[in-house]
Amino acid sequence: MIKKVLALIGISLFASSCVVVKDYEKININDPDMLLAQKKADKYETIFQVYREGASGANGGKSGGGCGCN
Amino acid sequence: MILKKIFIIIAILFFGKITAQQDATKVYKKRVLETSEVDFLTSYYAQDGDNASVTGGIGNEHLTDFASSIIVSLPLNADDVLTINAGFSAYSSASSSNGNPFDATGASGDGEDDDDDDDDDDKGRTVAPGDITGSPWVASSGASKSDVWATINADYSHTSDDRNFTWNANASFSAEYDYTSVGFGGGILKQFNQKNTTLGLSAKVYLDTWNPIYPTELKSFEEVNGNLNQGFFNGITILDQNGNASANWSPVTGFDLIQDKSRNTYSASLSFSQILSENAQISFFIDVVNQQGWLANPLQRVYFGDVDNYYIGNANSIKNYTSSNNTDVFQLADDIERLPSSRIKTPIGMRFNYYINETFVVRTYYRYYFDDWGLASHTASIELPIKISDKFTFYPSYRYYTQTAADYFASYEEHLSTDAFYTSDYDLSEYSSNQFGLGFSYTDIFAKAHIGKFGLKSVDLKFYKYDRNSTFSSSIITAGFKFVMD
Repeated sequence: MIKKVLALIGISLFASSCVVVKDYEKININDPDMLLAQKKADKYETIFQVYREGASGANGGKSGGGCGCN
Repeated sequence: MILKKIFIIIAILFFGKITAQQDATKVYKKRVLETSEVDFLTSYYAQDGDNASVTGGIGNEHLTDFASSIIVSLPLNADDVLTINAGFSAYSSASSSNGNPFDATGASGDGEDDDDDDDDDDKGRTVAPGDITGSPWVASSGASKSDVWATINADYSHTSDDRNFTWNANASFSAEYDYTSVGFGGGILKQFNQKNTTLGLSAKVYLDTWNPIYPTELKSFEEVNGNLNQGFFNGITILDQNGNASANWSPVTGFDLIQDKSRNTYSASLSFSQILSENAQISFFIDVVNQQGWLANPLQRVYFGDVDNYYIGNANSIKNYTSSNNTDVFQLADDIERLPSSRIKTPIGMRFNYYINETFVVRTYYRYYFDDWGLASHTASIELPIKISDKFTFYPSYRYYTQTAADYFASYEEHLSTDAFYTSDYDLSEYSSNQFGLGFSYTDIFAKAHIGKFGLKSVDLKFYKYDRNSTFSSSIITAGFKFVMD
C-alpha cells in the first residue's frame, strides 16, 4: 500500500513538471471549497469520528493522543 | 589586481541586488493574515446503541455531548500569526454512568465513589443492601455519568518573505476528570514550482495521564482485599447464574489498580499537494503514530465465557440479562479490558478536489488505515458544494467507513480468561458505517453585519447522520461563525 502511495506521489511529481498553473490562472483553485483540508466548521465531525472509530489520522485532525479515545 | 576589482564589483552588485530585493519585498509583501479573525464553533451530538463498552459489550450506549470553542487568529506582523483555540465539551453518558451501575438505588450513597480515593463505597447508602439493583440497560446517577473536557491550544507560525516556506510550533493542554493531556509539536511547509507543489512535514507529541475510574465492584474488591463481607459488599447478596446466593465471585486476575497511568503518543506526518490543472488539485497524507502506555480504558468491563457469572439484583431477571427488558440485575465484572502497551498506527490518505463550474465543486477523500493490533479500515467520502448564489452554498455529503476487528476484540462472554489481552469495546469491532450530511453556508465577503469591531464573514451549519450496520447510530449538528476585525 505504501509503495502504491509513493508511486502516486511520484507520478504527481512527474506530472507537476509538465503542468504549471500561473498565479493569475488560480481563480478556481483558490475557491474556498477547493481547500485541500477540512474546514474549521468540520472540526466536531472529525472529533466524534476519532472517538467512535478504530481508525484515525491522515486528515489533519488528531491521530491519537489528547483524549481517552481510540 | 584586476581580478580583485572584479570580485569587489560583483560583491557590490550582489549585495546591492539583495538589498534592493529586500527593500522591494518590504514594500510589496502581502500580509499572511490581513486582519484578526475569530471563529465560534459549537455542536450537539447524540448517539444510541446496544453495545456499551463500560458494561462489557452489552447495554445502553446513549450519550449526548454539547461542545463549543473559540478560535482567535492574530496577525502579529506581516509574516507571523498566532492562533489560540480554546473550547470545552460536556457529555452525559448512560454507558459511563454504569461505572457504578448501583447508584440509581443508592448503592454507593453519594455517587462520588468511582474514583481512586480510599473512602468506603457504602458511605451514605440510602437503601437496604438487599434492595440494591442495577442494569446495563439503565443509566445510573453516578459521578461518571457526565464530564467536561476542556482544552486550549496555541499555535505560532512564521512565513518567509517569498511566502514559499512556513514553519509553525504549537502547544496544547486538555483535561477531563479521568484524563489529562499535554501536547506540543511543530511543522514546516515548503512550496515549489510557482506554488503548484507543496510539501509538508510535522511532528506532534502528547504526554497524557489517566486518573483512572474503575468499575465500582472491582475497585471495591481491591479496597477490601477480596473480603465480600466488608465495604461495598457488606450486606449485599451476590447471586450465581441460578439466582442462588454465593460468595464465590472474584475478578479473574484478583484485580490490582493500574500502575502505569501514562499514555504517550508520538506522531509524524508527511503531506504532499499538487495543482493538476486550473480546476483540479490533489494531496496525499501519511501519518506514523506510536502510542505507548495504558492504551485500554480502565472503566470498561470484560466478561469471560469460561468462568462462572455472578450478579447483584433481582434473581428473576438473570435469564433476561442481555435483553433491554432487564432493568434490575447487574453482572459483576470478570476484569477490565486489557490491551498491549504499544500501538503503531499508519493512516494514509488522499484528497482530490475538482472545480466543475461556478456552481459545482467536487471534494473527495480516501483513507486506508492499518495498525499492529490487526485493525484495518477504508474511509471514502464525497462532498458536492453547490453555490446557490454569491452568498449561499449548499453542502450535501456522503461518507463510507469500514473496519476489521482488532485482534483483541470479542463480544460479551466470548473472551477466554486465558487470553493475554481482551476488550469488548465495539469501536474496535468489525463494522461498516454510512454517514449522510447536509450543510449550508452563508458568506459575506464584505462582512457587513457587525458585533462591535468584528464583521460577520460567514456562517456554517451542518448536520450529519451516522449509522453502523449494528444497533449504533448517531447524529451531530454543528454551527460555525467567522468574524473578521475591521
